Amino acid sequence: MKPNLHHPLTRRSFLADMGNGFTGLALGAMLHRDGWAGGKVWSPPTGQPHFAPKAKNVIWLFMNGGVSHMESFDPKPMLTKYGGLTIAESPFADTQDPEKLALERLVVPDANGNQRNTLYPLQIGFRKHGQSGIEVSDWFPHVARHVDKLAIVRSMWTTDSNHGAQKQFHSGRHQNDGEFPTLGAWVDYGLGSMNDNLPQFISIGKRPYWNQRDGYYLGPAHDAVPLRIDPDNPLDFSHSERPFAAEAKGIGKDLIRRLSTIQSARYPGDPAIAARIASYDLAFRMQRSVLDVMDFSKETAATRSLYGIDLPHCRDFGMQLLAARRMVEQGVRFIQIQHGAGGAGAWDAHGKLKANHSRNALAVDQPIGGLLDDLDSRGLLEQTMVVFATEFGRTPGSQGADGRDHHIFGFTVWMAGGGLKRGVVHGATDEIGFHAIENRHYVTDIHATILHQLGLDSRQLEIPGRKRLDIDHGRPITEIIA
Amino acid sequence: MNIRLLILMLAGSGWMLAGSGWAIAAVGIVAEDRVDYLKQIKPILRERCFSCHGALKQEADLRLDTVAMMIQGSHSGTVLTPGDAHASTLVERVATTDITERMPPEQEGEPLSNAQVNLLRRWIEQGAAAPQDEKAEADPRDHWAFQPIVRPAVPTVDNTEWGKHPVDAFLAHQHHQRGLTPQADASRLILLRRLYFDLIGLPPTAEEIAEFENDQEPEFYARVVDRLLEDRRHGERWARHWMDIWRYSDWWGLGQQLRNSQKHIWHWRDWIVESLNADLPYDEMVRLMLAADEIAPLDLSKVRATGYLARNYFLFNRNQWMDETVEHVSKGLLGLTMNCAKCHDHKYDPILQTDYYRMRAFFEPYHVRMNMVPGESNFSLDGIPGIFDGLPDTPTYLFVRGAESNPDRSKTITPGVPDFFNFKKLAIEPIALPVEAWHPQRQSWVIDAYLFKAKQKIESAKEAVTSTREKLGKAKKSAKEVEIVQAQLKVAEADLAMAHAESVSVKCRVEAMRAGWESTDHPDHSGAAARAQFEREKTVTAVQAERKSSVLKAQHHIAIAELALLRTADDKNKKSAAEKTFKLAQESFEKVKAIASSEVKPDEPYTRLPGAKWTPTRFFDSTKDDPTVEFSAQSTGRRTALAHWITDRRNPLTARVAVNHLWMRHMGAPLVPSLFDFGRKGIRPTHVELLDWMAIELMDNGWSMKHLHRVIVSSKAYRMGSSLAQGEANIAKDIDNRFWWRRTPMRMESQAVRDSILAHAGTLDDTLGGPPVLPKEQATSVRRSLYFFHSNNQRNLFLTKFDEAPVIECYRREQSILPQQALALTNSKLVLDAAKKIAPRLAEGIHDDVSYIRKTFAVMLGISANEAEIKASHQSLEAWRQMSHASKIEARVHFIWALMNHNDYVTIR
Repeated sequence: MKPNLHHPLTRRSFLADMGNGFTGLALGAMLHRDGWAGGKVWSPPTGQPHFAPKAKNVIWLFMNGGVSHMESFDPKPMLTKYGGLTIAESPFADTQDPEKLALERLVVPDANGNQRNTLYPLQIGFRKHGQSGIEVSDWFPHVARHVDKLAIVRSMWTTDSNHGAQKQFHSGRHQNDGEFPTLGAWVDYGLGSMNDNLPQFISIGKRPYWNQRDGYYLGPAHDAVPLRIDPDNPLDFSHSERPFAAEAKGIGKDLIRRLSTIQSARYPGDPAIAARIASYDLAFRMQRSVLDVMDFSKETAATRSLYGIDLPHCRDFGMQLLAARRMVEQGVRFIQIQHGAGGAGAWDAHGKLKANHSRNALAVDQPIGGLLDDLDSRGLLEQTMVVFATEFGRTPGSQGADGRDHHIFGFTVWMAGGGLKRGVVHGATDEIGFHAIENRHYVTDIHATILHQLGLDSRQLEIPGRKRLDIDHGRPITEIIA
Repeated sequence: MNIRLLILMLAGSGWMLAGSGWAIAAVGIVAEDRVDYLKQIKPILRERCFSCHGALKQEADLRLDTVAMMIQGSHSGTVLTPGDAHASTLVERVATTDITERMPPEQEGEPLSNAQVNLLRRWIEQGAAAPQDEKAEADPRDHWAFQPIVRPAVPTVDNTEWGKHPVDAFLAHQHHQRGLTPQADASRLILLRRLYFDLIGLPPTAEEIAEFENDQEPEFYARVVDRLLEDRRHGERWARHWMDIWRYSDWWGLGQQLRNSQKHIWHWRDWIVESLNADLPYDEMVRLMLAADEIAPLDLSKVRATGYLARNYFLFNRNQWMDETVEHVSKGLLGLTMNCAKCHDHKYDPILQTDYYRMRAFFEPYHVRMNMVPGESNFSLDGIPGIFDGLPDTPTYLFVRGAESNPDRSKTITPGVPDFFNFKKLAIEPIALPVEAWHPQRQSWVIDAYLFKAKQKIESAKEAVTSTREKLGKAKKSAKEVEIVQAQLKVAEADLAMAHAESVSVKCRVEAMRAGWESTDHPDHSGAAARAQFEREKTVTAVQAERKSSVLKAQHHIAIAELALLRTADDKNKKSAAEKTFKLAQESFEKVKAIASSEVKPDEPYTRLPGAKWTPTRFFDSTKDDPTVEFSAQSTGRRTALAHWITDRRNPLTARVAVNHLWMRHMGAPLVPSLFDFGRKGIRPTHVELLDWMAIELMDNGWSMKHLHRVIVSSKAYRMGSSLAQGEANIAKDIDNRFWWRRTPMRMESQAVRDSILAHAGTLDDTLGGPPVLPKEQATSVRRSLYFFHSNNQRNLFLTKFDEAPVIECYRREQSILPQQALALTNSKLVLDAAKKIAPRLAEGIHDDVSYIRKTFAVMLGISANEAEIKASHQSLEAWRQMSHASKIEARVHFIWALMNHNDYVTIR
């Protein structure tokens, strides 16, 4: 639509007025004006990448609760070999060097999140796959088919040994530090929209252990828009909650538009009037476009079965991933999918790990494999980063008879597509999967890698008065970038 | 979805184009030969070096804020040799890779980039030219907000309209200097709507509008202001503002486990509402919130105020709790970012790292407890969350670099304020508390509440017996039925017997407690032995009564188990479980019976009836409560001392911060945009004198907020129109309206949006106060939105769409415009149901469409409809009527719905 601004309001003051995280933005603008900004002239993001991007979209798959790294993408046969021995009795006693354990930051001593000393054998077999010969556990046969597309980082660490680590994985900060914007919010803040009809940052699935917020000091405009893969109720207030004839609504919409035009003659240059009417247009379009995204009738039976939609055990996750692919096609920037509701997250296998992980893997493996197939065959994988992450790994030692506890010292994340190397393993844990020992990476290195592929420099996004630490920014993992 | 999208659409181009159109020079590194010191060098030094080598601190006696001082150098000589970068220590120290030598030091910041170092080199090689009369960085002591507040002279303004009111005079003075012409008054219709939303958070009714528009008296405006300030809805409106700032939150946790804030914290909310309505002075409110447990320990009504600190409760981690307390007491009440000094000395303000922990030490002893309210002895049903100094001896340590894992135990930090703000000596005196404060069971109502509860139980048990007997009389269908009702009667009778025994037990325990108080209150010798003997007798009786009560309780369980046996007799699956329960009930009956017949041991205690309960923490183990924190006869007096320091007239920050908050909520924008930072990193206001004048005005009038409301809303400045029309000359000079030449329109807060919808529909429930409306009740509730349960985890869906207050920190509400708001306003039940009610309400006494349209525009939007609006509305009404099945009223319902989606429906003009 045409601009309705009679006066050349600057983008800066517009943002300040409209409250796009205005505490930070208005502050920054005024700091600049008052000569307080120091070495840099601060300006809000233009919506353009800072340098040529390799990727456009992110599909972020987060496994709530903590996936066992040893029984997924970092197999450790030594666990089986020495199973039943205490770590102290095993050849790996040095893993318990207190200095190496010091990075843990507790919220409170807890029954969970403790050292478990008796080595617990692997509960599933594993084998080599693909040209690269990377080992993957037998719980993930479909993902394993694509192992030559993955960049697997086996040397992650974090600091919160309880499920606050879910938040930490997304914001980069321990929960004792307070509340900070999440990765998706930074991306949303930094980059412009690719489609005027859909939200750019979408969240699907439950987030049991953290607040339904992402933007924090960037403003609620950068919170993810929660979407349900349910054509009857995909988006809050997406349908009239009382009968309302379409014709009557149409007449009303026309009237709203006409009245806005009249009101903007009274208040020429008032950006709120123009922004509000634009938000109405977008809202009406969104109601359609959101439903379109979920209309799987346009997909072939072959595609649907690729995602396992016909199978009860992976139907829900399959639909979410198929919707994600459709969103990528529609230009949604960041699709964050959380798997595993209930408790602190479905993967939280303190007991009965074998049953727990085989059930959960069954639910996600085929859909993820299908997603990678589908993206690749459509040529979308080069522009789309698929990320498989979890808040921490699980202990090499057993908890109770048949479980594993939370483990922050070493765990695995993999990424695929978006200009990353294919079929590589980066970093390593020790022989029992206890400590990340090679090319160690804190969670924000994953953020930095993604931002880098999207063409963003997180330091250029920083807001005056909200100083971020080096570790908040992280470093791109250049070794896995193609 | 974000607002940028909308802006880009407004610009009428794709995002690539739009972006480049707005591009602003990013970094001051310009590829020119000559390095510009002021533009390219000084900003780097300011950002990276001044905090230690500037006006705030002079590490190594070195300052880098002028070229002359760089040449003068540190205690070991010059750091800058113009023309010779190689010889300049300045370059050497920032360029070195030796981490022990590098500046800034490792813990203080990242190294300078190569580009920055090269720039510095080139500048020095080029001769390090100093600008003429280069000024050193201002002394922090001269910072505007740290100066004592004195009443500034009101400027004389040569303008009859704008010269009368001091607020106007300060603004007009600047208008005159800058050649700005303020906009004329808004229309009466707009003014009335503005006043209503501003002062009571609700729109005026059609009758109120008519009355106001027809009032010919010169005092018409002041009269409305007075009336609204006395309206009890005023307290509700402004309470919500202060609840944002003071971080109000209902409790939250995981499932049913309380982890943050407190149950029944709404008592604090009610205290805020009542205090604002009673115009309790701001300084008194602050003192009570910080220390009512010391200042008025026996006045439960005032103790409610300490919900301010009880809200910071966090089950698992004391450091997080203390950090939030220090951060938000400082930001919210003082406009100081003490939190920036947690890990190192403050980079901008004269606050040392130690000061952060000194501030924490004021709060170190406090814990949270639930006080009993008159009439309710069950703490899970009601109670007043308050605070008490439970751990007076817990030491406060500085955390090295802020790490809780690294406390410096060599030195205990004592409570104190930064030296810089030490305008008065803090007098921290321990406070002896009245016995009822630390023996809350002695408050008169506590015993009454227990006795009342016991009596209530007997009454309801009696009723159950009677009704079961009647049932037995009517039960004739089958032997089985009779048998079951007989068993039910047995249960009811057992319940009654239990209630009687429980009542006796309560009474005996009350007597034993009283006997105990006699002993503790008179510890002298005369009669001590007799008192001890008396207490012993009463104790034995109490123990026996309690034992008897448990025997009857066990019998009650048996009766219930017998009933279950009867009921499950024919059900194989459930039968065995019932038999098991019965067996267990019998066993436990035998156990308590055995105990009851044994002799009471000399030290055997009875269960005390508490008048308050410590809210347990789990700092040491997430699975079990920490050792009980006992109430103490003495409070440290630390918080009282802090409260008096904060509210001392000489404190340069408190009143300034408060009036800035008040001003922003009336005027749409603050005078000091950095609301929580009045320090040197904050933003200097354009109108320091106006701010100071209002701060003095507040203090001189007994810190009366109603006085300040009246001052602000009676100014011309408040009454201006918000239009930019005819403002071209002003726009050219001050597009951001920093000099207040027009009214700043505001998007309503979430609560005002919803309340206004209900008010228009005539369904708004005007009940004041009480427990929050729980999430499951909200869909059908018509209470004001401030009463909705609102926590970190649970918020009302409709309200979230309009930027509701984050409970972590909300010094200013966002005012976003998002598609989700459009969806909520077009599709929600709330709006659609309201439209149905509003349409006929506004039609009362009106017969033709044009009058109807005029009236709806006035009431719903505060707009005097013009011809174009009438025409458009009329056409739409006709179009709706031409739809099949559309009656006149349905057309009007649709019309109301459309107006609720008008921008001005959610705007305060």
